[in-house]
Amino acid sequence: MNTIVLTVVLPLLAAFVVPVLSRVSPLLGRLLGPLTLAYAILLTLQVWLGMEGKPFSIALGGFQPPLGINFYVDRLSLLFTFLTLVTSLLLWPWRNETEPRQYALTLLLAASACGLVLSGDLFNIYVFYELISVASFGLAAATRSGAAFAASLRYLILSGLGSVLVLCGIAIVYLQTGTLNLAQLSQLAPETLNTPLGMSAFALILLGVGVKGELFPVNSWVPEVYAAASSRVSGLLAGLVSKLAVLVIVRLLVLLFQQESALQLMLILGLLGAISGELAAWRAKDMNRMLAFSSIGQLGVIFIAFSIPGKTGLFAGLALSLHHLLVKPALFLLAERWRGSLVGLRGAGLASPVAGGLFVLLALSLVGMPPLPGFWAKFLLFTGLAAQQSVIYQVALGVVLLSIVIEANYLFRVVMNLFQPAGDNSVAVTTDHGWLNLGTTFLLSALLIAGMLLMGPLGAWLEGVAMQAADPVLYFDTVFSVSAIH
Amino acid sequence: MRNLAALVFVGGLAFLLLVIFNQFDFAQAPMVVGQGILMDAPDRVGAANIVTAVVLGYRGIDTLGEISILFAASAAAGLVLGRRRTDARRDPPGGFILRSGVALLFPLMLVVGFYIILHGHLTPGGGFQGGVILAAAFFLPLLARPETPVNHAGLSIVEGGAGAVFILTGLAALLQGGEFLQPLLDNGVLGELVSAGTLPLLYLAVGLKVGAELAGLMARLADVEVDEP
Repeated sequence: MNTIVLTVVLPLLAAFVVPVLSRVSPLLGRLLGPLTLAYAILLTLQVWLGMEGKPFSIALGGFQPPLGINFYVDRLSLLFTFLTLVTSLLLWPWRNETEPRQYALTLLLAASACGLVLSGDLFNIYVFYELISVASFGLAAATRSGAAFAASLRYLILSGLGSVLVLCGIAIVYLQTGTLNLAQLSQLAPETLNTPLGMSAFALILLGVGVKGELFPVNSWVPEVYAAASSRVSGLLAGLVSKLAVLVIVRLLVLLFQQESALQLMLILGLLGAISGELAAWRAKDMNRMLAFSSIGQLGVIFIAFSIPGKTGLFAGLALSLHHLLVKPALFLLAERWRGSLVGLRGAGLASPVAGGLFVLLALSLVGMPPLPGFWAKFLLFTGLAAQQSVIYQVALGVVLLSIVIEANYLFRVVMNLFQPAGDNSVAVTTDHGWLNLGTTFLLSALLIAGMLLMGPLGAWLEGVAMQAADPVLYFDTVFSVSAIH
Repeated sequence: MRNLAALVFVGGLAFLLLVIFNQFDFAQAPMVVGQGILMDAPDRVGAANIVTAVVLGYRGIDTLGEISILFAASAAAGLVLGRRRTDARRDPPGGFILRSGVALLFPLMLVVGFYIILHGHLTPGGGFQGGVILAAAFFLPLLARPETPVNHAGLSIVEGGAGAVFILTGLAALLQGGEFLQPLLDNGVLGELVSAGTLPLLYLAVGLKVGAELAGLMARLADVEVDEP
């Protein structure tokens, strides 16, 4: 069971070793990263089969919580560990033969993402969050164009501000409670954090972590970075890193900040993000910017979903997150050869029908066309929102519907454009998408179809995951039963 | 207009933070974990410096994360700064005082750096502080003689090797049936140089890694091409 810590440690070890190994043997240097990730995936599956659905906690260094740091392993954290490793393997920078540093940074990103998901200690989560940030700065700048440097610099400054805000929030929590262990905090929170100070701590953490989660006021780095970074990095940031940030917030909401105002704050920011992101995407003139803005909009919808109280919100939010994690990287991979202005893409779908077809499928699922999985995720969101009494949730329902209409409008405009016969004035479009990108996109689309066919069992299983994650008492009992045994 | 908006934003944020910090009752904070560690640490870990017991024992995984952050920063900087043109102009060599000063200081700084690292479990200091001093020691000759070639291959071996030692020490505990990063070996006598189990070894790894990383980073920054006048 304690082998789960290897999913964090082995990629770190590989990252430290890979620059040296690449000097000795370039081939081994190229293979080390993917092999490590594949082995970590295997370990995750092993733990999954071994745990039989029951959460457990491991005390790192043998120091029992709350004095030491613990990893909390339930179905949710294991699911995201698995997804992190698989996504980093799929979006591995294969093409980059000469630069082992990029391998190292991708491995660091994967390791820290696993740590972030598993950790049961607030400050430890902050450390891994910082590691994700620093690794992603390097990856965003790796294309080494002027635009990439400018975009990364803006990203770095905003991220730095976010980190300071998170640290202030954590300091407030620590000052009020005297502990950083999430399980112990979940017990102390109803008395100590149910105050204006506790609320301000949540607001600071929400805004700080929200930088990576593309939350409304702190997302201005998104379009530039995604337009300038390589599409694999954009896919990682939009697909994976944003979800991890949301996951941190969700854990804190379940365990620490159960007051209604916390949910409402997140709901309002999510609403603003959804509407502003979709409107900006509607006006966008080039492919990557459009995808970036629409990602802001969809993350806004995910924040809305998680702000529905109780298990319903968690279930809907998880479904939307998984769907977005599958679809967005695939779209970014397709867009790699379709960079530049949307008008210039006239006829591109006719020129390469496979890529065009995949784009249509992904776009349809993103909008929420039944029976694709995107529809079921949005359906859960609607039923969850409609069941709430408060007016603000009814408003949210309207805003989400509006955002879907806008989204459908601009995505179909792009699709129409792709399949129109090329005019005389359009630039020559590439037909070659590269077998690697196309293959990865194909795999992701196949997963999407598989998800559609297995929607029944998948939904039931995901509901179980949400139910387990929504239970703070279970969290506390799991972490502290370990110390009782020892 | 933009400046004004920024000013309003910063002012508002400062006001908000002031209001928040005004709410604290300082010196009244609960010490749930702090007290626990103070009671528990001397017997469990055997480090005379309790801060080290926290940094490498109770929160060892945080420290692993922090050295990884430094590694990520240096890798990212290397990726951005890239390679230098061979014909680029270099800074002129330093004067006589700088050169002889460096020759004098270099061995002293090495000794102080390693002293601080190796006594990290006894006195204030440790791998991070000592590592920075080591990095400075290796950076000084570069200031005096900018044309000296930097052995980046050697630095990256030290960097990777030290990181690997830290992790492998942790994995050794896991293999012996304990948890990752559990301190191994005997605690020894509190306050002696050879005590606190594997903690001094971990600090040595941290020190070498921090030193090699910062030295490499500063060498790269110093190596950035000078703009032609």
